Amino acid sequence: MAQLSVSRLDAAPVRRRRSGNWRISPWLYLAPAIVTLVVWIYWPLVDALRLSFYQWNMLPSSPQTYVGLDNYVRIFSLPKFWQALRNTAVYVLGLLPLAVLIPLAIAIYTHDLPARSRNIYRAIIFVPMIIAPVVAAAVWRWLLDPGYGMVNAGITWLGFDPVKFLTDPKVAIWTVIVITGWKLIGFSTLILSAANANINPSLIEAARMDGASKWEIIRDVRLPLLSSSILFLVMMTILLGAQWSFTYINVLTGGGPLGATTNIYYLLWDFGFSSMSVGWGSASAVILFIGFGAVAFVLFHFIDRFSFHDN
Amino acid sequence: MTTEAISRPLAAARPRLRRKTAEGVGINSAAGHLVMVLLSLFCLFPVYWMVVTSLRPANAIFETSLWPSSISLDNYAYALNAIPIVRMLINTFIVSIVVTVIQLFTGLLAAYAFARWRFRFDKLVYTAVALTWLVPFQVVMIPNYLLVAQMGLLDSVVALILPHFASALAILLLAQSMRGFPKEVLEAARMDGARSWRILWEVMTPNLRGTIASLAILIFISTWNEYFWPLLLSRTAENSVVQIGIQMFMTSEGNAWGPLMAASTMASLPILIIYIVLQRQVVQSFMKSGIR
Repeated sequence: MAQLSVSRLDAAPVRRRRSGNWRISPWLYLAPAIVTLVVWIYWPLVDALRLSFYQWNMLPSSPQTYVGLDNYVRIFSLPKFWQALRNTAVYVLGLLPLAVLIPLAIAIYTHDLPARSRNIYRAIIFVPMIIAPVVAAAVWRWLLDPGYGMVNAGITWLGFDPVKFLTDPKVAIWTVIVITGWKLIGFSTLILSAANANINPSLIEAARMDGASKWEIIRDVRLPLLSSSILFLVMMTILLGAQWSFTYINVLTGGGPLGATTNIYYLLWDFGFSSMSVGWGSASAVILFIGFGAVAFVLFHFIDRFSFHDN
Repeated sequence: MTTEAISRPLAAARPRLRRKTAEGVGINSAAGHLVMVLLSLFCLFPVYWMVVTSLRPANAIFETSLWPSSISLDNYAYALNAIPIVRMLINTFIVSIVVTVIQLFTGLLAAYAFARWRFRFDKLVYTAVALTWLVPFQVVMIPNYLLVAQMGLLDSVVALILPHFASALAILLLAQSMRGFPKEVLEAARMDGARSWRILWEVMTPNLRGTIASLAILIFISTWNEYFWPLLLSRTAENSVVQIGIQMFMTSEGNAWGPLMAASTMASLPILIIYIVLQRQVVQSFMKSGIR
């Protein structure tokens, strides 16, 4: 305590010198973390900004040519870029029902289940979350195989034509979205169930005494009380949803067919490491970072204003 | 940021006695069970199918019976021959363990600095740590790759570990739980003449066992499952992790479903074992600290 108050009064130079002894300690403790984060995140961020003004093919022997804003202009004029941006929006919008809406409905609908069976369900629906994305991709590729996969076996058994889940340009993006959602749906359900179980039962009881219908209780009591968890999941989905699908795109579709599953994160990878164009990759990284930051800023603002807590 | 937003609703996730209301227990709960059973099937079936397929003999791969008619380990033998999967599993294990230990170590140090001292720019540094969460890895991947290339560490296990020396997740989560630590205890230790180093390791750390354990689980699992960074660096199977092994296997013999499922099962087994043993803790640690 004493030290805390001293460090606040550091206006006097004499004190500062005397306290210098332990003033350096926090920096020593922080050093490993700060060095790591600067070397691997903050400095690269600056470097990406610098490289975005250059043209370079990543070979140390070849020169880096300054091209000004050329990379940006080129990217904005690429149809591929706009397609990827549109696809990113589709990913996010497509994931919202799987990562938020359905889990929310399930959480509210099943809140009456006895604790014991709830624990069993909980253990099961969490499993996809811990499965590695590459493994998930492999398993789904097998399940969705047009010739022998379980899913198409079911579809043909029902009398329909087999679906080319990964090679039909119209279907592929939804396939990737559902696989991404498969990883998340159980987790989201658990988060919302936990928040729902946490609502003070007397609030529900009071509403019921006042003659509120079941739907009214959900709309006027449960949903407002769940709003912070819901907003949190919405935010995660919007900010990270398209990122989570990277592995599935990379392993299952390679961004295709015809760029139909390429989102902005995959495009970055494609620019940087398939076409080995550092300038393009970096310029799109800068664009992505600014866009991502703007979306995050708006969302945080939103959450501050609209989340609602009891007590 | 992640942690703060989520710990609020979940800190109190412990079960609470709920009064059963007269209405809606009978039929409603049957329908509730039905919903949960369907969701459970959706979540578990692919994993189950992976294991079942991996155990079928080669001539029965395309069978659709829910239970293999006869069990064979041929697929495993095939996978073990096709890729150096044991070597890759060992690599993955080393990377995951080392990353977990180092991240906990740097996290404890940094969190302690925030919890114990008030210093110039402390808020700024804290925010800078939290904001790293907003930098998608894809944005910094090219400079990171170039840095590793400059150090001559491409295609090495060491390079897989380096960027994970510290993480915002560990720092913020530990800082949060240290803040809840009673100041009186720290003060008493200080009066006894304990230096800050000893206070951290002999007073703080033992009391944070719960948080440390759940962080360890979280870091281990997410490192084990990591794909993107190894994908950038890997050239040879021997120097890579098992996730890359599966990807390579899929590219080279994509439709050898039995062996592919066997390799996938082997890659998931350590995580599944951890999950089966520590199910409650695993779920809790993920829920406490958000999605990674």
